[in-house]
Amino acid sequence: MSRPAAADVVSLFNDNPSWAPGFQAAGSRLRPLSGFRLAPRAVPNVSNYQQIVRMSAQTGSTTDLIKWWNGYRLRDIARAGILADVTDAWDEAARRGWSDDTALRSTFTYEGKQYGVPLYKSYYVVFYSRPAFKRLGVDVPTTWQQFLDVVDAAHAKGITPISSGGATSWESLIWFQQLVNGLDHRFYQELTAGRASYTDDVCRRAMALWSDLYRRGAFSAPDAQTTDLPAQFTQGTTAMCLYGTWNTGAFLDNGVKDADLGAFLLPPPPGGARSVIVESGVLAVSANAHKLDAAHAVARAWLNPSVQTAWSGFLRDTSADPGVVPNVGTVRQVAAQVRRERPTQAIRYWEASPPVLIEGNVQELSAFMINPTRAQATKTLTNMQHRADKEWKVWTS
Amino acid sequence: MDVLTPADPAASRTRPRRSHALVHDPRSERRRAAVWVGAFLTPAVALILLLLLAPFLITAWRSLFDDNGVTARFVGLSNYIALFSDPDFGRSLLNTVLWVVGTLVLPVLLGLLLAVLTHSVRWGAAARTAVVIPYALSGSATALLWTFLLKTDGAVNQTLNAVGLGGLQQEWLLHWPMNTLVMIVATTWQATGASLILFLIGLQTIPSETIEAARLDGAQGFQLFLRVILPQLRPMTVVVVGMSIVNSLKTFDIVWLLTQGGPGTASETLALTMYRQTFTLNRYGYGAAVSVVLTVVVVAASWLYLRRQVQQRSGEGV
Repeated sequence: MSRPAAADVVSLFNDNPSWAPGFQAAGSRLRPLSGFRLAPRAVPNVSNYQQIVRMSAQTGSTTDLIKWWNGYRLRDIARAGILADVTDAWDEAARRGWSDDTALRSTFTYEGKQYGVPLYKSYYVVFYSRPAFKRLGVDVPTTWQQFLDVVDAAHAKGITPISSGGATSWESLIWFQQLVNGLDHRFYQELTAGRASYTDDVCRRAMALWSDLYRRGAFSAPDAQTTDLPAQFTQGTTAMCLYGTWNTGAFLDNGVKDADLGAFLLPPPPGGARSVIVESGVLAVSANAHKLDAAHAVARAWLNPSVQTAWSGFLRDTSADPGVVPNVGTVRQVAAQVRRERPTQAIRYWEASPPVLIEGNVQELSAFMINPTRAQATKTLTNMQHRADKEWKVWTS
Repeated sequence: MDVLTPADPAASRTRPRRSHALVHDPRSERRRAAVWVGAFLTPAVALILLLLLAPFLITAWRSLFDDNGVTARFVGLSNYIALFSDPDFGRSLLNTVLWVVGTLVLPVLLGLLLAVLTHSVRWGAAARTAVVIPYALSGSATALLWTFLLKTDGAVNQTLNAVGLGGLQQEWLLHWPMNTLVMIVATTWQATGASLILFLIGLQTIPSETIEAARLDGAQGFQLFLRVILPQLRPMTVVVVGMSIVNSLKTFDIVWLLTQGGPGTASETLALTMYRQTFTLNRYGYGAAVSVVLTVVVVAASWLYLRRQVQQRSGEGV
């Protein structure tokens, strides 16, 4: 039998059941600020989750708050009219000094309004095994050449330099986005906005660099799984992995000690400039929410440092509020480097263009990882541009 | 036949009218029989209409729309035109054909072979149990096991390396058509048990007299199997092959769990293409078009196969 929700509760739909304790911790901080706490409901399968949101958000069965993805994935449903405008929450966060991140804000924007607040803000960094680095006698690289030296040193000692999966998953985009954005941040933005071509010089150079790294023996087999990584770091059989800081908790929960785990921003390739890929989840308000005012109140209070401290402490990841950093050595190291170097930020490729274009291009990149030759790179980029030509027309029609 | 009609006044007088009509009017009897037959058929027909035909018609209707789950626009046959001009669809169709051929050749033939070999020998039960146990596992468990075996740093490659056969190591799941072939082998490992059980049942229905008579006539070994046993297994073979065709046409779980249809779309089958278009890309209309094509292929293949078998059997009867 279903019971009516408590008066001080707003429902939150998400795709990660393991986040429930974190939402409850954040909810207990939200209660005195907004008058409401959170009641999370989760569907663990991402595809199923998206179906349910798309269908239920048009009806009275929707939850008050919805977890979603930023960039074009957010625009995709915002333009369908199923989300509420939460521009006031961003204005309040900026006014109070919690977060005034215009680059991030633009990825939550559709037609000048914001349709969600940032659930977290992860950076794509190179995780490394400190014991492996110690055994190799290398330090954290600060230049591309030093990075190549670490790769060569690991390869020479039979240690897998970089774990890089993606043969059959979204992870194939990680090195593509890193190299294109690292070579030319402005070009990456133009490319993902549909104003530059995948067959342009920057993309070709990025693919050549990726191919060269493969030839150098830098990468694991392309069907490597991230779930195996903590054990490999502990055993010292793998030295590095480029991944989102949201994976820090998975390392720590699976046997890697905080003291043995390190992370750094990958130095830019020759001719490039320091830039970092950023990923952010979205906390959106459903336009058909039963408790619309309550959901807006929660969205306005979400970036309050008290709430963010509880939430990012649970996630062990960085927050959209740069002043809130969880007490985890690896994350603090990343936050400190970002504060120090102030790299330009680019949205993750997964959210950077229309979803159908990205999904197809990610499959092209997966196929490239199986056969990472220069010839295959040319074919891959040509296919990606063909898809871009087609899907941008569909998106704007 | 002596039929009483209402025009017979004597009959009208001596028997109650109702009973007379019930027992002796053939049209009424046929009507009553039809009502009874209809009553028994109705639940099954209603279920088929409700659970098969109606969803199919709804899916066919949706395939005429450009539908992203939130908004829908009528586009006529555009989804079908796009589908048949998509090179990925051609690959998907080819993989599906590979699955049909592979699962016909391997699990069906192996099941038949093992059933015949183990039918009447002492150690047969142990051998049969070993083959049937994988059939009891779920598709997901099977896929997890084979992922553990076949990934590049998995058990197969590690074993090859350990015994000095490192040169034979392969990226089993990463290259087409090898990935499709090894997944067919994995399915064979699981599905042979089902064929084996069905063929064993078939073998037990063969009268021992026909075997003895054949032996007395000098038939033995392969000749006995080919000319006496196999023809009598025909009804069961029809069932096993029919099930195998339908199951292979809708192959999904093992491919999804081992390669997700990749790398790229290299190992996709029609069922995976349908899933990806509908649930990953949120192209409900396009996914519905793939569903319609898949349904037509499955129904056509089943109908052609069964029609041929039924005709042959009718011919044998005559």
